[in-house]
Amino acid sequence: MQPPADSQTRSAPNSRSPKALLAAAKTNVELWANLLIIGWALGFMLWKGVGFAIAIGTVFAIWAILTVSLNLVVGYTGLLSVGHVGFFGIGAYTVAILTSRAEYEQLRTEAIPTFGWPFFAALPVGVLLAGVIAVAVGVVFNRFRDDIYVLVSFGFAIISFNVFLNWRGLTRGAFGIHEIPRPAVGGWVLDGELEFLVFALAILGVIVLLSWLIVTSSFGRVLTAIREDEQAIAVFGYQTTHYKLAVWTISAMMAGLAGGLFAGWTSFVDPNSFILLESMLLVAIVILGGLATIWGSLLGAMAFVLLEEGMRFLPFLPAIHVGQARLVVLGILLVLLMVFRPQGLVGRYKL
Amino acid sequence: MIAQRPSLNSLLAIVLAGAAAAYVLWKISQSPEQAVQFAFNGLSVGAVYALLAVGFTLVYSTVWYFDLYYGAAAALGAYGVFYLRSQETLGGLYAVNSIFVNVLFAAATAGVVAWALYESQYPRFRAHVDRPILLGAGGVLAPGAGIYMGFVLTNPKDLHIFLSPAIAVGCAALVTWILYQAYRSVLTGPVLRGLLVVTGAAATVLGVYCAYLIANTPEAKLYLSWGVSCFLAGVVGLTLYRGLYVYMRARSQSPLIMLVASLGILLAMTALTSIVFESTPRPLPEPLGNAPWTFAGATIKGFNVFTIGVAVVGFLFLLFLLKRTAFGKAVRAIGDDEEVSKVVGINTTTVIAVVFFIGAVYAAMAGILSGHDTAIQPRMGLLLLLKGWIASVVGGIGNLNGAIVGGFVLGMIEQFGIWDLAGEWRDVISFVLLILFLSFWPKGLLPRK
Repeated sequence: MQPPADSQTRSAPNSRSPKALLAAAKTNVELWANLLIIGWALGFMLWKGVGFAIAIGTVFAIWAILTVSLNLVVGYTGLLSVGHVGFFGIGAYTVAILTSRAEYEQLRTEAIPTFGWPFFAALPVGVLLAGVIAVAVGVVFNRFRDDIYVLVSFGFAIISFNVFLNWRGLTRGAFGIHEIPRPAVGGWVLDGELEFLVFALAILGVIVLLSWLIVTSSFGRVLTAIREDEQAIAVFGYQTTHYKLAVWTISAMMAGLAGGLFAGWTSFVDPNSFILLESMLLVAIVILGGLATIWGSLLGAMAFVLLEEGMRFLPFLPAIHVGQARLVVLGILLVLLMVFRPQGLVGRYKL
Repeated sequence: MIAQRPSLNSLLAIVLAGAAAAYVLWKISQSPEQAVQFAFNGLSVGAVYALLAVGFTLVYSTVWYFDLYYGAAAALGAYGVFYLRSQETLGGLYAVNSIFVNVLFAAATAGVVAWALYESQYPRFRAHVDRPILLGAGGVLAPGAGIYMGFVLTNPKDLHIFLSPAIAVGCAALVTWILYQAYRSVLTGPVLRGLLVVTGAAATVLGVYCAYLIANTPEAKLYLSWGVSCFLAGVVGLTLYRGLYVYMRARSQSPLIMLVASLGILLAMTALTSIVFESTPRPLPEPLGNAPWTFAGATIKGFNVFTIGVAVVGFLFLLFLLKRTAFGKAVRAIGDDEEVSKVVGINTTTVIAVVFFIGAVYAAMAGILSGHDTAIQPRMGLLLLLKGWIASVVGGIGNLNGAIVGGFVLGMIEQFGIWDLAGEWRDVISFVLLILFLSFWPKGLLPRK
């Protein structure tokens, strides 16, 4: 297929004239994707007002943390993991269990011990727990590749979902955990939507910065080399298993962070947020946005959130079907992308 | 260190297998009756997994990429039965009949019939008959089949009556074809033609009689709906291969691209199922033989025995198809090397399309059988797909004998594994088994040669 359009323009030295730039821009898919999604976002914001942006901004931030972190594994390292939602769930449940203040009546529902920790004490624990589990899982998964890797990562998502659903003494199973307090620093509680949005965007910024540091460092270049040819880089003396384990763990910890944020934002978690379908959705968004670019993941998450919100206003679609209809659209988009543009909208790497 | 690793692995594997076997033996000695019950459960669950694994292996060992539509086909089969039978047998509680669904499947059927006519009959008649006549005949037959399918789907209440003409025609054609094949080797000339006319007439009468019998048996509706929904799942599988995968393969050779694209299909189809049928679990109507039999102190349903029979017959049929027919030879050749089989004159696209059809029919059958045993929900497709995938890895990926063994082994281990745990940990057990197998025994029980 055609090479990324910016390399086209760069390769032609006399393409500085406005006419040539315009002609190059017309066939530039990346440019169009960027314009479309950002324009869509701005248009939506103008139409619906700032309150709308605040409402979906946090959703976007949580999805974006997940997609950016998954892109480290899928895009940069080339390991197609479909189990990321497991770490998201671990982070969310750790924060939920440690911070929840709900008093459960024995006998009527499943009761679990309440700890009542502050949010900012529970969040690092959730992130660390996700990391520890990621190390244990990654050691086992490191020996698999390609199709089998996909299968075992499906397995991780299913096992974690079953643990959330069936370990009732810890997670209350299908009842879910209620009354998770909003994050608070000293006396200042982040209970407003805007405050939480700023907090979530700040965390997203830290994650993006961290990912950017990772992928531009020598560590990131080794990851890219593993993706392109693992044996070749192993010949140069790099312990590829260590690198894969490291990036897997970092990515899992970021997902755990997103999970903690999610628990603090919704103040209620139950296993239905961590089903396998969500994980497949996540992979779809990462591929939609673009493999091996951080900006692509942000764009993909934004497109996904806008897709869902945009479909709410379709007149012929009943409101209860919006959640499923976005999956239909996303699935069809994924097929079309795989046919016409396997690197995603702004991606740098083809599967 | 590197030299030690295999021996350490096999030592660990032996210790693990020994511990598991000792544990199971100890449990059996504790309560033999319960062990028989678990064995029965394991066999009936394993039959579904075996059926899935057999179909999965057929497709995978031909094209060597994972087609996740296979899971959607299982859900499609089960929901097809629900769609056709929900209006009356479930008291009309969740009656669903959507014009969009009917038109969609009618169009797919018309397309596949057109494709089948073009691939099988066009070369034969091209030399003798004018092009416009052939096109006209195809233009009548294919949309006719589509309209017929749409009509059947619109009126599921009288399925047995509306399907009986198709059964009569099919029965007559099948008997005539079989006898023609038999005569052809011994007879030639006018004798053959004369006998064939007589046979054709007799077969038509037989077919009409069969159709009459079925039209008078309302109980047959459930089993006819099995046939219809298996056929539709196959039609969709064939359409996906011929309409999509062929072009994707021409653009890229990466198996992961195919996997992600079929992931998109699975995602979209699961969501569509949830939109049409809602995502709550639903029952399928009761099949015959649902009363439990007591045997050696344990109970098993007649339907489960039937499931085991279907798995074994499906396996034997596939074995026959692959080992004894020209089609099977072509399939195996494509599995060995697709490029070379194209060079030696096998129409790889057609053969693989038929393989996708058969695979989807197997998946749909497994979905129906498991749906009758438990309940159906849109998510079931993915879970069944994963179970079939695990079973084929456990049995030895790409090996048909391994697939059926793996299916039954997976079913047994799942059932014995939940002896001390609750039943809901079943999926965890099968994935732990998968990871153990991949770590210690990656080639599976019966490796592909």
